[in-house]
Amino acid sequence: MIRTFNIEKFHADIVPESTLFKVLKYLDKEHVKTPILLMDRSKIREKTSLIGHYISNARVFYAVKANPDSAILRFLNKLGMGFEISSEGELEILSTLRVKPERIISSNPVKSLKFLHMASLYGINYFSFDSFDEVEKIAKIIPHSHVYVRLSVPNEGSEWPLSKKFGVELDEALELLIYAQKKRLKPVGITFHVGSQCTNLYNWNIALDKAKTLWDMAEKKKIKLGVLNIGGGYPITYTKNVISIETIEHNVNSLIYKRFPKGTAIHIEPGRAVTGDAGILVTSVIGKATRCDEQWLYLDVGVFNGLMESVGGIRYSYIVESDKHARNKKQWTVAGPSCDSFDIIDTNVVLPEPRIGNLILILSGGAYTVSYASEFNGFSIPKTILI
Amino acid sequence: MIKFFEKAPYSPVEYAYDVEEILYIGKSKFQEIKVIRNPYFGMMLILDDVVQLTERDEFFYHEMLTHVVLHAHPHPRKVAVIGGGDGGAVREVLKHMSVEKVYFIEIDEAVLQVSRKYFPGVSSGIDDPRVEIKIMDGAEFMRKRKRPDIDAVIIDSTDIIGFARSLFTNEFFTAVKNCLQDEGMFVTHTESLHFHKDMVIEIQDVLKGVFPIVDLYTAPIATYPGNWWAFAVASKELSPRELRQKPAIQTKYYCDEIHRQAFLPKGLYKKLMQRKLPW
Repeated sequence: MIRTFNIEKFHADIVPESTLFKVLKYLDKEHVKTPILLMDRSKIREKTSLIGHYISNARVFYAVKANPDSAILRFLNKLGMGFEISSEGELEILSTLRVKPERIISSNPVKSLKFLHMASLYGINYFSFDSFDEVEKIAKIIPHSHVYVRLSVPNEGSEWPLSKKFGVELDEALELLIYAQKKRLKPVGITFHVGSQCTNLYNWNIALDKAKTLWDMAEKKKIKLGVLNIGGGYPITYTKNVISIETIEHNVNSLIYKRFPKGTAIHIEPGRAVTGDAGILVTSVIGKATRCDEQWLYLDVGVFNGLMESVGGIRYSYIVESDKHARNKKQWTVAGPSCDSFDIIDTNVVLPEPRIGNLILILSGGAYTVSYASEFNGFSIPKTILI
Repeated sequence: MIKFFEKAPYSPVEYAYDVEEILYIGKSKFQEIKVIRNPYFGMMLILDDVVQLTERDEFFYHEMLTHVVLHAHPHPRKVAVIGGGDGGAVREVLKHMSVEKVYFIEIDEAVLQVSRKYFPGVSSGIDDPRVEIKIMDGAEFMRKRKRPDIDAVIIDSTDIIGFARSLFTNEFFTAVKNCLQDEGMFVTHTESLHFHKDMVIEIQDVLKGVFPIVDLYTAPIATYPGNWWAFAVASKELSPRELRQKPAIQTKYYCDEIHRQAFLPKGLYKKLMQRKLPW
């Protein structure tokens, strides 16, 4: 059975033709069990070879939280990626894949004791921190390990800001580095995070300036740093074009070159940029309704079982399965399947009218979708399939 | 002069053509059809805002689409042309004296009618007695025809991601194989090696799952975005690189030398398929 979809020119800016071809090929059957998340292997491969390419001395650690599906992690492991993890659960998955400990770092500034014990046994040796208590925890459980301090930087222009919860200002960061040294840890570097899905190129400028100030302050206190972890934040296209990874990296690389000593090790922790735009979430239309003047469209994926980020302001693009030349478009409120009135994915979305049971493809759905999902109200979490 | 802006979805460039005259705009059951005249290219056929052919350069595409397989085959008698409602591919096929029968399968009758009226030079062959026109989905034609008696199947479709997609599935390729004689050949366009390299590879891969011999040749098409247009060719026994007849037909571009040089050098082909071409 050949399904027809209403594909428009703007979709082409978001999803490559060959990805779409593979997805449609997969969906050419009578019964497609939705929701599912289809991940294009070649797109993931392309992104892993792109990220870090323009930054000298860079190592890339995939932020596992973006999508911890074990088939994806196995594929990334085969491609030689490093991994950034935060918890015992994430470490457990990596250990079943026998990922080498040298390829794993943890940039969660506040780690659980259980995780630290497991990490110690596994041989992980790079941890971030931003509090005195964390220094004590790490020093006690994994003595002499390498630590890097999380600096607070502006997150304006990122769609998923993180700085409020984590990071410290310059003076405190310096004290923390000194304290870590006193506790016989190895303070090796600095990290920051410009915020996830950061579309403001200048956030990296400000962050790198600030990091350089701390770098020099530390040097005056005889602490010689060697690692600069620039976090993640590389954006992907959801509805509108964003700055390219090449542009960001050319900028970051020249800033690093001008400010930091030659040979500084650069760590990058992309999550969304690796898996986000390689994934297409396949959902079904389960209902339609008119309420007051609004047209409502109900899908089998909503805020709770995959599209949590829509609450934070991420707007997705949709490709609708429809009859040939469905030209009558309507404005829809798109909602998830659960009984919670909070379960609204988007409003004022212009789409051709689908029939009940038709498929809707949600583009750039590979990251921070299934990893956030719960089975609230009994609605299943999309299964991930690599194609 | 007003301009027509092409809207090819998967093209990173957008072509704009001067429009001297709009001769036809109409909607068929399947697509929007336009005919315009451009001072350089002459008459142009446009489907869903994508240029299909121009009077000036259509022969590059139509000759290269048809004559490679028809010369690689030792003696083509029965040919199926799927799509290409303009008739350009059929016109080229009929140049081969050995051809006794052409099944011409087009889903959209309106394209045939428009072509008859505005492109008589292109559609000149479609009323030839050797041609049997069938207005239907090419995928269905292939699926229903169960005898392996066709010598060449030629696909002349619109862009792959669209309603022509049924002509690019595993099932379709299998149906084609089942309709081909042992010496039979299959050819289809697979977009640009510049802009749609991943698609080219993808189609080669799907074909390799069905046919023992799969290959690729290219032709320069000025009016298709990316220009360096790729054709996927597949067969059961015979290599399409080899000519099994000496060209004895009138052509403007195709000839035996072009036939040989149109195929990618084997090293380049290998690199392409290993995804090692860095563009």
